[in-house]
Parts: sequence; C-alpha cells; structure tokens
Amino acid sequence: MATVTYSKATRIYPGTERPAVDHLDLEIGDGEFLVLVGPSGCGKSTSLRMLAGLEDVDEGTISIDSRDVTHLPPKARDIAMVFQNYALYPHMTVYENMAFALKLRKTSKAEIDRRVKEAAGLLQLEEYLNRKPKALSGGQRQRVAMGRAIVREPQVFLMDEPLSNLDAKLRVQTRSQIATLQANLGITTVYVTHDQTEAMTMGHRVAVMLDGVLQQVDTPRALYDAPANVFVAGFIGSPAMNIKTVQLTEQGAAFAEMVLPLTRQQVATAHADGGNGKVTVGFRPEDTDIVGASEGGMPIVVELVEDLGADANVYGHAAIGGASERFVVRTDRRHMPNMGDTVFIKPRSEHHHAFHAVSGSRI
Amino acid sequence: MTTVSDTASTSAITPAPGERIGLRRPGRGERGGVLNVFSHAILVCWGLMVALPLLWAVMSAFKTDAEIVRDPIGLPDGLHWENFTTAWTTGHIGDLFLNTVIVMAGGVAGTMLLGAMAAYVLARYDFPGNRAIYYLFIAGLTLPIFLAIVPLYKVVANIGASFPWLGLNSYLMLVIVYIAFSLPFTVFFLHSFFRTLPTEIAEAAIMDGATHTKLFFKVMLPMAKPGLISIGIFNVIGQWNQWLLPTVLMQPQSGGEEKHAMLAQGLIELMVNQGYQGDYGALFAGTTMAMLPILIVYVSFQRQVQAGLTGATLK
Repeated sequence: MATVTYSKATRIYPGTERPAVDHLDLEIGDGEFLVLVGPSGCGKSTSLRMLAGLEDVDEGTISIDSRDVTHLPPKARDIAMVFQNYALYPHMTVYENMAFALKLRKTSKAEIDRRVKEAAGLLQLEEYLNRKPKALSGGQRQRVAMGRAIVREPQVFLMDEPLSNLDAKLRVQTRSQIATLQANLGITTVYVTHDQTEAMTMGHRVAVMLDGVLQQVDTPRALYDAPANVFVAGFIGSPAMNIKTVQLTEQGAAFAEMVLPLTRQQVATAHADGGNGKVTVGFRPEDTDIVGASEGGMPIVVELVEDLGADANVYGHAAIGGASERFVVRTDRRHMPNMGDTVFIKPRSEHHHAFHAVSGSRI
Repeated sequence: MTTVSDTASTSAITPAPGERIGLRRPGRGERGGVLNVFSHAILVCWGLMVALPLLWAVMSAFKTDAEIVRDPIGLPDGLHWENFTTAWTTGHIGDLFLNTVIVMAGGVAGTMLLGAMAAYVLARYDFPGNRAIYYLFIAGLTLPIFLAIVPLYKVVANIGASFPWLGLNSYLMLVIVYIAFSLPFTVFFLHSFFRTLPTEIAEAAIMDGATHTKLFFKVMLPMAKPGLISIGIFNVIGQWNQWLLPTVLMQPQSGGEEKHAMLAQGLIELMVNQGYQGDYGALFAGTTMAMLPILIVYVSFQRQVQAGLTGATLK
C-alpha cells in the first residue's frame, strides 16, 4: 500500500539535449491503477523505469509513500515489475522463477512455498510449476511474469506493456484479468501501454504523454469528454476525432455550409494570443450523425466505407477554405451510404471541442 | 509430396524452356547440385585427412615394431596389448596422465571462472577504461608463446627463488601460466556471448533484488551455458595438448627433484629416447591413450559445441 509521487522528475539521456522525460509532476494514489499512455518515444517507459530505479533521475525527485527513493537502488524500493518480453529466467522452472526474489530475501522455505502456491492458484499456474518457460505458451509466460511480481507482495507494481506480445483475443481476456487482479490485491499499479483501448479500459486514471511532457492526467471518461488539448483529443478515441483548423466567425467555427457554435468567451479566447481569426475544432466520429440535406449539415463526398459489423465508419472529404479535408463518421449500418455519394454530416449539439489554433489547448 | 517429386523429375528430364535463353530460375537447382557435389567431395577429403592418421595411429598401437616397419598400412596380425603396458610402465604414461589432469583441471577451471567474470563485466558494465582493457585482451590473442617464452622462464625462475611452490617445475605455476595464455581467447569469445543475452532478464533480476554477484552467478552464468561449454572444450583441448610451456617451465631444480612432466612431453620423450632402438608400438600406444580423453569429451559434448559456435542461444 503506497502512494507514488513524481515531482519535477527529469531524465536526459547522455548525448542528447532534449529530455526524454521533462519535469514530470504526477501523484498516484494508494491502490490506484494508473496508466501511462502515449505514442512510442513519448517517455512513458522511461518514466516507469525511473520509478523502478533502472534509469537515473537527472532532476527532481520520485518518492514512494513520502520516502524519497530518487537515488535508491531498485531493490531498496520494494517494487516489482512485469516486462514486455516477460524476462523469465530461462534456466529456472516456473516455481524457481517465482521464488527467486524471495530466496534472495532469505524468506523461509515454508513461506516461499506458501506464497508461490498461492500466486500460482490465483493465476491458474499450478500444473506448470515444474516446467521451464520454454515449454509454456505466450499467455502462460505472461502469467508467470505476473506471478513473479505478485509473490513479492510489493508496495507498487510496474508493468511495461505486458500484453503487447499476446495475440488480440488473449490480450482482451488478460486485460480484464489484470484489472480484476489489481482490484483484488489493491496494490498501487503503474501500467505503461501505447494502446489507448488498454488505457481506457484498465486505468482508474490515465496519464497521456507526448515528447516527454505530461499532457493530461484524468479519469478515462474525463479524457474522452474533455481532452485538454489537440493531441489528447486526437489520441484518445478510435477512429480519431475529426480535428480541423477553420475560420472563426462571430457565431463560431465556419465549416463548409455549416457553422459550429462557440460561446462568446470561446470566441474571445480563440482570438487572443495570435489566434489570427482561426480556431481548431474537433468532433468525434461517433458523436456525428448523417442528416438530411436541409438540416444544416456539412456535405462530404464518401470515398470509403468500413463495415465493422455492428456499425460502419464512413470516410469522406469536403472542401473547406479551398483545401480538401477528410472526415470520418461512425454510422448505423442501416444508413450506410455508397462510395461517391454526397452525404450531410453534423455533430450532435454540444459534442464538439474547441482548441486554440496556435497553442492547441482547450478553450 | 507426390507433386513435388513429380515436378522435380520432369524438370530433370526435359530442360526447362527458360534455360536456353539464360533465365536464372530453372538453372539454379542444377548449379546448386554441382556445388553440392563439390562441397561434399571436399568435405569427404577433409574428413579422410583428419580421420585416417588417427585410425592409423590406433591401428599401429596394436602392432609389433617389425610389423610397423614391414607393413605400415596393413592391418595388425594380432592385438599386441603389451605396447600399452610398455608405454604405461616404462614410458610413465600413467604418471604423466595424472600430472596433466591435475594441471588441466586447475587451468581450465581457473580460465573459465576468471574468463567468464572478465568477459561479463567488460560486456555489460560501462566504466572508464572498459574498451582499453578489452583491447588489451584482444592484443593478447596476437602474442605468440614463442615470443614470451624466454622472459617468462626468467620471471618464473625469479619468483621460484623466493617462493619455490610458484617457481619452475610447480603445478600451481603452470596452472597460472596456462590461465594467462588461455584468457584472451576465452574473454574474446564469452564477451560476444554475454552481449547477446537479453538485458531485460538482467533488469528483472535486479528488480528481484539480486546483487551484482548473485546476478552473475545465478542468472547470467547459467544462461551463458552453451558458450561456456564450447569455450570450455576448446580450453580442455588446448591445455591438454600444450607442449612448449611445460617443456620450458617444468624443469627440476635439483638433482633429486622429480620432474612434473606433462603428457605431450612424455610422448616426445618416448619418441626421441628411442633414437637407436625404436619402440614404435609403445609410442603409438601412448598417443592413443593420450587422445582418448579428448575424443571422449568431444564426442559427448558435440551438440553443445555446435550450438555454442553457431550462436544458437536461448529464446
């Protein structure tokens, strides 16, 4: 049981100028499941490894339960980690793999046995205890890696993309298992992934990173409903939000034959700080409907329809300010248009997001 | 299966249409066949060149001297085991065997331990001077023993003046010299091996609370087993066959001192001592006995040697 606090934590790799992690401020509550998410190279893994003690902290501090661990070696931090490639010891059996950390701690034999058996039961690994990792499937190896972390009964779990080596179906299944397990054990967990679905489904809170800078940290719902900037808006959600920078009028944002209303204050903020009469507006494909020609929608020419079974993604383009812009709409299967059709799309009211055209932050 | 063999046979009989206009694809199989015949012929020749002298030596060990001279390549007319008895008793092969085993055991054990430790640290830890030390070992590879033999003799003799147990004709001294000469290649070989081992496993062990020592002995060393076996056998063979170093360094210092000679020396003596009255049978019997242990080691670890040399490591 522990809290984790990053305070202005910075990591600059030797030989580079730009920090891999730049003044990260993040508080993780006791028993919380926090997901670090972002595109590759955004510094999420580095942040995790800094907490693990595998990476130096060049500036700032990291503390666990208000104990400063910034410069402590990994083994003094009481944390356990699950690696992407599982990193099981190939020459040890499953039992020995799980018992290794306890043996190093000189835990008594009986206690080791009890804890390993318990973890094995939890993860349905009992029948594999005497096998070597080589003789296990990917999913089983993943569970052994989890078991190795669990037997330690650490203060914090760290997981570095533990599902990315599993096939799609197993990934979905294991995703829910890990979430349930974490909820039952109640151990503070920091989880790194590049997969936004994992982030949204597993995390109590999600921290989105880009280029070493924390963009936003909030509950999955809040991230989805009120993204703090253009990057978060585009990153969360699939297919990605339609984000366009268009002319600003007194009424709002002017798309082709459609004006999305903005409040007076939003318009004023958009004008400030070099906004230059432009505003960035986004609306999600799933918050957009195909409407009749007279209902004030924007006409788009359909160029691709993806039938997903339950519903369909419609891709099309419209000319805005002389340039051709692409849009995506998720629609009911029954209203699927054909390629080449012109349809009118309209975001549901109050379901569009406005951002400053230059700074990209939400207004 | 049938379709495969069918197409193969038809293409062998009727020349493929592309062949005449010089297309690559159909011709390739045939050229591969020619290449195969060539490479196999060369390999067979090589195999014979290696195996025949060995077999001849073993065969000659069962012949009398007269037979060897009269009919050097014929089969023996009887099994003359007395050659082995002669070699064992008058040639002192038995004592030399023991001496060699003692020195080799110490030498190989020391080489493996120190070599693995040095290679591991050089391969996986970053510290100033790392490259310099590594290149020093590589430079050691290029140093011929002959170049060092005179100064080495002087050094050993001088040390022996103060510490007789570390001087000439001492097992411990020879073990140390063997280790010194085996280390460069061992470090070179294991260095590249340790580099290929996954970093994540080392990190996992560190997270599990392993110290550097525990990490090395409990995790990294077992993972390097294929490489250790290959280089171990290489060292066993090298140190078993070592002749120059013991010849120079294992010289008794006083009249009454027993000479701690090695097997290779003994065989040479068996040969040169019979300048006037030959006992070739005993010589070949001694050779046969000397090569047996190496043969056994090699045959029993053949698979691991191959795996280690071809870099087939763990997944």
